[in-house]
Amino acid sequence: MSDTPETLHITLEMVGQTTFVCPRGRLDFGTTPGFQHALDQAVNGGGTAPTAVIVDCRELTYLSSAGLRGFLVGARAAQDSDVHFGVCALQTAPAEVFKAGGFDKIVAVYPDREAALA
Amino acid sequence: MPSLVEELVLLAIEDDGAIAPAAGELGFGMALLGACLVELGNAGRIDVDLSAVLVLDTTPTGHPALDGVLKTIATGDAAPVAQWILSLSADAATVVRQTLDGLISRRVLRFEEARYLWVLKERRYPLRDGREQQDAKLRIMETLLGEQLPTPHDSVLLGLARAAGLLEGFLSTAEIARLEDRMAKVAGLDLIVRGVEAAILEDQAERARAMMMPL
Repeated sequence: MSDTPETLHITLEMVGQTTFVCPRGRLDFGTTPGFQHALDQAVNGGGTAPTAVIVDCRELTYLSSAGLRGFLVGARAAQDSDVHFGVCALQTAPAEVFKAGGFDKIVAVYPDREAALA
Repeated sequence: MPSLVEELVLLAIEDDGAIAPAAGELGFGMALLGACLVELGNAGRIDVDLSAVLVLDTTPTGHPALDGVLKTIATGDAAPVAQWILSLSADAATVVRQTLDGLISRRVLRFEEARYLWVLKERRYPLRDGREQQDAKLRIMETLLGEQLPTPHDSVLLGLARAAGLLEGFLSTAEIARLEDRMAKVAGLDLIVRGVEAAILEDQAERARAMMMPL
């Protein structure tokens, strides 16, 4: 588990060949670098690369423009590594930001983990 | 490498150094203000969500255009991006002038003032070698013609150039139509660009309402 400054905690979980990146808290300018590092670890971090990286947003409470940049950098890195990238369990407020920024057009959005694993 | 604000101004310079007609439209000014907000966000001075532009740090960046916008936002009431873009739009001309001054001082372009018909003045800003402008156009084309997701910078550059009406300066109407699906997907993946687009639409709607008012 990695702690980032302020109010974002991130855990990584492997389920089969899918890595879930689980941010808990606020994703904003201060916490995005840690989030980006976690995504990079998930996509590229040693060993066998996963077939998919899914950001489980169940406990993501806030998402800003800076956080969206983190998602874009992560999605691009996953694409470069031929790893499927998606998000699941977006809560209402972050989901509005995700959609307002146009990210629902470039990132697979799943209602929950089960759908992401299907 | 030029800043995002400088790239947009460079895209508005035509081959002969004249300023493109699009630069006279309100959308261009709003796009430049949006670029200022994006750069302030990258510099950690602000962050943005759906309800407000949030000031994180009022330390000046050293860039006059950005610092002017930052000072105004820091001393104003909290408001969403579109509202700030509309209220700052009167400052757009200042941002253009400061950006041109910076580009001239770095010898990216030069200033010429010619008279024609003995009376009328025309200002031109010929590019020194055009490299920076070509780089910006190339990145926009690569974003549009490729299949890869763009970098945040390139997505914002494309989105703001589109909002400013600058794409028409180097893409035909047919090309723009052909690339519309790709553009809709990758242009302006950012809350600030979406705020600029909303501000432009609001301004257009306001003008339309004003025209329809009974005399």
